[in-house]
Amino acid sequence: MNTITRRDPELVMRLARLGSIHQSRLSFMRVLLRRLAREGWRFENTAFNVNDAGEGHAVYTVYSPDRAYSLIAYAHDLPPEKRSDRVIAEAWDATFTLFDGVPSAADIERLSHNIPVQEAGRVSGTELSVSRANRSVRLWEHVVSSLAAGHQPDLEQIEAVGYLMRTTAVYGSGKLGAADREMIADRPEFRAPFQVEMLSVYLTRWFVLDLVQHMADRRAASEGRAAAQLSPEIGRVMGVGNSTGLGMAPFLLNHPVLFNNWVAARENAILAVRRLAKAKSEEIALFQSLVARSKITIDQWHSEHPIQIEKLKGLRADVIKVDGYLAGVGLSAEHPWDALYRWAEDNLSLEGQEWIASLILEPYGAHVDSFAEEMAGDNTATFRIAGAMSVGDLRALLTEIYAWAIDTDWQAPENRARAWYVSEEKLEPRLGERFEEPIEEYEQPLAPGRDAARLFHALAHWPDEAQVADFLLRHPEHRHVLRRAQIVGRAPYAEIRDNTISDQVLPIDMLRCKLAFFGATQFDPRSDRWVRICMYGNAPLPTELTQENADYWVFPAVETELEEGTA
Amino acid sequence: MSHSLNEIEAMAKRAARGAGLSWGLSEEAAKGTRWLSAFGFPGTEMLAELLVMNDRIPPIDVSPVSLSADVWHAPTRRMSPLIAGASLSDCAVRLLQRGTITMQNVSLPLLAVPFMGGAALRLGVPVAAEWDGARVATDGKQLCVQGAADALRAKHVGQLVFSAPAEMTGKREPLMRADVCETSWGQLGSFAHRTFAPATEESRLRGAGAGGSDND
Repeated sequence: MNTITRRDPELVMRLARLGSIHQSRLSFMRVLLRRLAREGWRFENTAFNVNDAGEGHAVYTVYSPDRAYSLIAYAHDLPPEKRSDRVIAEAWDATFTLFDGVPSAADIERLSHNIPVQEAGRVSGTELSVSRANRSVRLWEHVVSSLAAGHQPDLEQIEAVGYLMRTTAVYGSGKLGAADREMIADRPEFRAPFQVEMLSVYLTRWFVLDLVQHMADRRAASEGRAAAQLSPEIGRVMGVGNSTGLGMAPFLLNHPVLFNNWVAARENAILAVRRLAKAKSEEIALFQSLVARSKITIDQWHSEHPIQIEKLKGLRADVIKVDGYLAGVGLSAEHPWDALYRWAEDNLSLEGQEWIASLILEPYGAHVDSFAEEMAGDNTATFRIAGAMSVGDLRALLTEIYAWAIDTDWQAPENRARAWYVSEEKLEPRLGERFEEPIEEYEQPLAPGRDAARLFHALAHWPDEAQVADFLLRHPEHRHVLRRAQIVGRAPYAEIRDNTISDQVLPIDMLRCKLAFFGATQFDPRSDRWVRICMYGNAPLPTELTQENADYWVFPAVETELEEGTA
Repeated sequence: MSHSLNEIEAMAKRAARGAGLSWGLSEEAAKGTRWLSAFGFPGTEMLAELLVMNDRIPPIDVSPVSLSADVWHAPTRRMSPLIAGASLSDCAVRLLQRGTITMQNVSLPLLAVPFMGGAALRLGVPVAAEWDGARVATDGKQLCVQGAADALRAKHVGQLVFSAPAEMTGKREPLMRADVCETSWGQLGSFAHRTFAPATEESRLRGAGAGGSDND
């Protein structure tokens, strides 16, 4: 049994595989909803002051056993020409902040001058996040006009989009003056990563459903009628979208310890399940039902991007192969999950392999959910360079981690065709063409492979017994990547083991990876560096959240699907 | 104005890079500025002062000549506290073996103190720094401060002595917010601005890769 080992970072940390990761029970929105249900959090809409034009504010407060948090939502009447998902946008359909506690009228007034302008505003230590969202224009109008006309919207149209609004940025951790993560990291509910942001989005979904109903009610009233009430079954299908650009990609490179902890937790969970000697019949039955429910998600997964279209074709073929495997080999032999995983690695596409790797965790919450506790990251202990390390040991470390990079010809233009930089326009992160644009002098340190290879070559004439402290005194330009190599020496999943500046790099692989850890589904790339996704689709609404429905909501229920079609 | 510590760190990193420090040193300058700010010191003011003083000069001129010398000194007789501090942190093990490391002619010595916090964490024992009229000690988490404000804020000291293990007396806990002087924030902002690529139409269209209309 000890021959079953954790997957090698050389296998896991390649961009193509990271760009095929699927959500799992360790994903942050699933961790959050399990906690909210387990601890019996209460939810309350305490204000909804929105006029006929859709302008105003609303407040949604949640009560944990010890504290209260409130989403303050500001609704705006946005002219269509201003609707942009880019960081450089300056107005939105709705803007939000998650407030630490219950806001006073003065707080709501103060924030009404700051939240609607987002980056142009300032918030304080009582605000935990700042975010904004834009309508999906087509679906919004369809739902408002259907309800205003007295009937339910069309489920097919809803499923084609998946959400009424998409967030275009959710800022936490001290951005714009908000509370630093350190201020709240010792609260159990925020120990896992991104729980503030995930809570904010969960409440945003509630507000969006209230707002669409309100707008339908007002439109019907202006026509002397009463609008239909959106059926909860249809409302539940809708999540909150998100539209994400390059900003997320540097995040993974800039937080290596945190990234390691996410990946290591998932890998530890996969290993724990693969090491189980037998699967009980109820575990097999649950897994098979979730395979069936996953098929609905995979069927509904829509993308117009050629890369994702190809990947979906592969995944749909994989689903058929998995059916064949389960009907043939099945899961009743010894070490059934390890056998399934090994078969997947030999027979399925990367999408299919990572789907199965996440899915085998599902029957084993009791074994794997506690790994989520280890997903937070603290850089303090690893940040300091160990200056007493010998040059010989550093060389060995670089050879082990960055062999691919040391073997790469970095003079070849195609291997360094791109450069990451930050634009002076709202500090938007961008990726440019090194040899075509005047950007190289602004390059960010986001090419660890190239930099590690440079370090390796700079060490060539240094004796093994020299200490890195003396090397760094003369070569401070290698300080960043040397620290990185030492971090990866202790945290093997901290590094992306691929070229992040080649002419072939697909930044969407990094976005996909991060968003899958959030718990997103329905990845729909709009280009090689931009992706739309869905969050909380099919999740129970706050008022209906129970321990029974807090776990497997992400998998659409097979039976209710038919019922909803008749609505 | 009250700032989050993350904002201070992000600004300090860009500013240090804009003033010509390597990315690695800029990251450490930023962590240090954050650390000082969390203990109520004018971290952004002191960093801005140093960056103005050493703007784009070759780092080797304000670095220690040798780490094995009895007394560390820089050829220009104005050692950068960031480079000195980073080297001290790199030499944490040597510090414990030697007991003390003495440096001559160091600018803004308080800026070197956060690095000894890192060294203390690595060694697991408190580290102290002493210069004319001031003594600070830290175990990496808490800080003990003795000395008048102007001594702590000294622009240049003839001698700076680090020692380990040190005694902790009269502990100060870090805060979670910092008040930042607007002048220094503006100075750091100007340095940081040098790291941002000017906006061009091509970059706006291609660089973020949004493509197509979002009004759908």
